[in-house]
Amino acid sequence: MKVLLVDDERLARNELRRLLAAHADLEIVGEAVDVEDALAKISVLKPELLFLDVQMPGADGFSLLERLEPPLPQVIFTTAYDEFAVKAFEFSALDYLLKPVDPNRLVAALEKLRPRGPAAPLEPGTATHRLTLEDKVFVREGDRCWFVPVKHLRLLESEGNYTRLYFDDQKPQLFRSLTAMEERLDPKSFFRANRKQVINLAWVEGIEPWFSGGLLVKLKGGMKVELSRRQAQDFRERMSL
Amino acid sequence: MSLAPPAARATPDVLAVTPAGMVRSRVKMDLATDTSARLQRAKERLYVLCQAGGWVFFLVLQVVFIALFRDKDTAGKATQADIVMSLVRVIAEGMLITHFARIYLTRWGWKDLGWRPLIPRIIGMALVMSTVWTVLGFGIDIMLLRLDMPARFPLWLLMTSSLVNGTIMMIGWLCIYFFYHLFERLNRLQLEQLRLAATVKEAELRALKSQVNPHFLFNSLNSLRALIDEDAPRAREAVTRLANMLRYSLQSGQQETVPLEEEIRIVEDYLALEQIRHENRLRVRWDVAESVRAGVLTVPPMLLQTLVENAVKYGISSRREGGELVIAARFEGAALNIRVTNPGDLSAPASPAAARAGSSTGVGLRNASERLKLLFGERATLTLLAEPPGCVTADVLIPLNPPAR
Repeated sequence: MKVLLVDDERLARNELRRLLAAHADLEIVGEAVDVEDALAKISVLKPELLFLDVQMPGADGFSLLERLEPPLPQVIFTTAYDEFAVKAFEFSALDYLLKPVDPNRLVAALEKLRPRGPAAPLEPGTATHRLTLEDKVFVREGDRCWFVPVKHLRLLESEGNYTRLYFDDQKPQLFRSLTAMEERLDPKSFFRANRKQVINLAWVEGIEPWFSGGLLVKLKGGMKVELSRRQAQDFRERMSL
Repeated sequence: MSLAPPAARATPDVLAVTPAGMVRSRVKMDLATDTSARLQRAKERLYVLCQAGGWVFFLVLQVVFIALFRDKDTAGKATQADIVMSLVRVIAEGMLITHFARIYLTRWGWKDLGWRPLIPRIIGMALVMSTVWTVLGFGIDIMLLRLDMPARFPLWLLMTSSLVNGTIMMIGWLCIYFFYHLFERLNRLQLEQLRLAATVKEAELRALKSQVNPHFLFNSLNSLRALIDEDAPRAREAVTRLANMLRYSLQSGQQETVPLEEEIRIVEDYLALEQIRHENRLRVRWDVAESVRAGVLTVPPMLLQTLVENAVKYGISSRREGGELVIAARFEGAALNIRVTNPGDLSAPASPAAARAGSSTGVGLRNASERLKLLFGERATLTLLAEPPGCVTADVLIPLNPPAR
C-alpha cells in the first residue's frame, strides 16, 4: 500500500517512518509538510493511505480531507493532544493515533484497514473516477465531522456553492457545488430530481402523481421531493429499467 | 439587602480577549438581582406570617386561659366579651408597635450588630415600646372607650404591672427577631466563605492546568523519541530540559512569585525543546538589559512562560515560514517592562485550528493578567499590541514598588 506522511515536523515524520519500517507491505512514497504540499503530492503520488497530522501551520488536517476530490485515500490521523479532534474522530469513525505512537496501536489501526485495502484502489489516471456506494465522503460542520458512506446519502440539496447532505439524522453542508458532486456520483444510483436536488434511488419509498404531470417522490425517513413533468418522464424510464 | 454573589460582579476585561465572557457575566448579574428580589419577597412573606401568626397565637392562648381560670368574683361588671375585646385591642396595639419598631430597627442598622451591643439596645427599646404600649392601651380604654377599671387595684399599680409585663414581652419579640437575623447572617457568611474557597480552588486548578500545555508535552515526547536514534546527546539534553520544566511548573504552583532569573532559565529550556520540534522555523533573540539581570526581581511564576508559549503558538506553529521571537526586559521608570514579540497579525482571523487552540491561550493570557493585578495592584498591566508592523507584542509592566496588599 502506498503511504504519504503529512506532518509539519521533520522529527515526527522520521518517527513514523521508523515505526512503519516494521510493516513490509507499506511503501512510503512521500512526505508533505502542510495541506498545500499534501494536495500537490497526493495528485502526483496517488497514495492509498495518509498519515495525517491534525495541527499544522495554515490549515489543519481536516481541511485537507475537505479539499481532496473524492474518492479519498484511507486516512489515519495523528495528534499529540487535542480534545477537540478526538471528539471529531469519534463522530466520523476515522481512526487516529496519539503521539508518541504506540507500536501496538499502529498495528491495530493498520489491521482495521487491510480487509478493505484492495476493495477501493485508486486506479492511476482515473481522475474522473465515479464514487461507488462503498466510498466515503468527508464532511465537516462546526466542530463535528463525518466520514459518510455514499450509500447512506438520501438526498443532496444545492445551496449556492455548497451542497447539503442528508444522511442518518444529520444534514451538514459540504463545501462543493451540487453539480460537482453529481458528476462524481454513480448515475445508476443517484438521480437529479430537479434543479436543486439529487436523490439516492435506493432510498425511494413511494411515488405519487403530482401537479401537471409531475411526480412526488417519498424517501425513506419521511422527506418528499418534487419532480417536474420532464424529470418525471426520465424517472419513470429509469425506474422501469 | 443585597445578596448579589461576588461571582456576579463584572470584572473589567483588561485584554478584552473574549467580549462574550463579559456579556455572560452581565446576564449572570441580572439573574442574581432577580433571585435577590425574589428572596426579599419571600422574607417579607415570612415576616408577615410570623408577626400575624405569633400575635394571634398569643391572643388565642390568653382567651383560653381566661376562659379556664377566670375568677368569678373579680369579674365585676365586665362581661366575657368585654374582656376578649379588650385583649384583642391590646394584642392589635402590640402588633402595630412591633411593626413600626421593625421599620426603625432596619433604618438604624441594628440587624448588622452583634449580640453584645444588641443586648442593652434590646432592653432599652423594649422599655420604650412597652411604655408606648401601656400608655396607648390605657389611654384608649379610659379616655376613648371610657371603660371602668377594676376598682380593686389602683391605676398606677395596674400600669406598672402592665409596663413590666410589656417589657418582658417586647424583649421576647426582639430576641426572636434578632435571633432570626443573626442566624441568617451566620448562614450567609458561611455560604460566602464556601463560595470564596471554591473560587480560590478553581483559580488554583486553572493555574495548574495552564502550566504544562499537554499539546506541547506530548509533541515534545514524540520528537524526543525520534531524536534518540538521530542525535542521542541532544536527546539526553532534551530530557533534562523537559524534566526541569515539569519540576518547575509543579513547584511554582505553590509560590506567589519567583525570581525573574529562574523564570528566564525555564523559558530557555522551553524554547530549546520547541526548537527541537520546529527546527529552523523558530529563531529566538534575547534582549534582557544588564541592569535587569543584575537586579533581584520577582515575577509571578509562569508569566513569561505563558507569554512565550503564546508567541510560539501564534508566531511559529501556525505559520509555515516560522519566524523570530524577541524577548526583551528592561526598566522603564519605576517599573519592569517585559516584551515578547512574535510575527503575526493581531486582527487576522485565526484558522479553525488556531482559533481552537487560541481559546486556551486567551484564557492563559487573561489568567496571567489577573494574577499580575492580584500580586502587584492595578498599576501592573498586560497588553497586546499590534507593533512593530507585522508583529504582535505582549507588553507587561510590573511596578517595582508594589502597594501593600
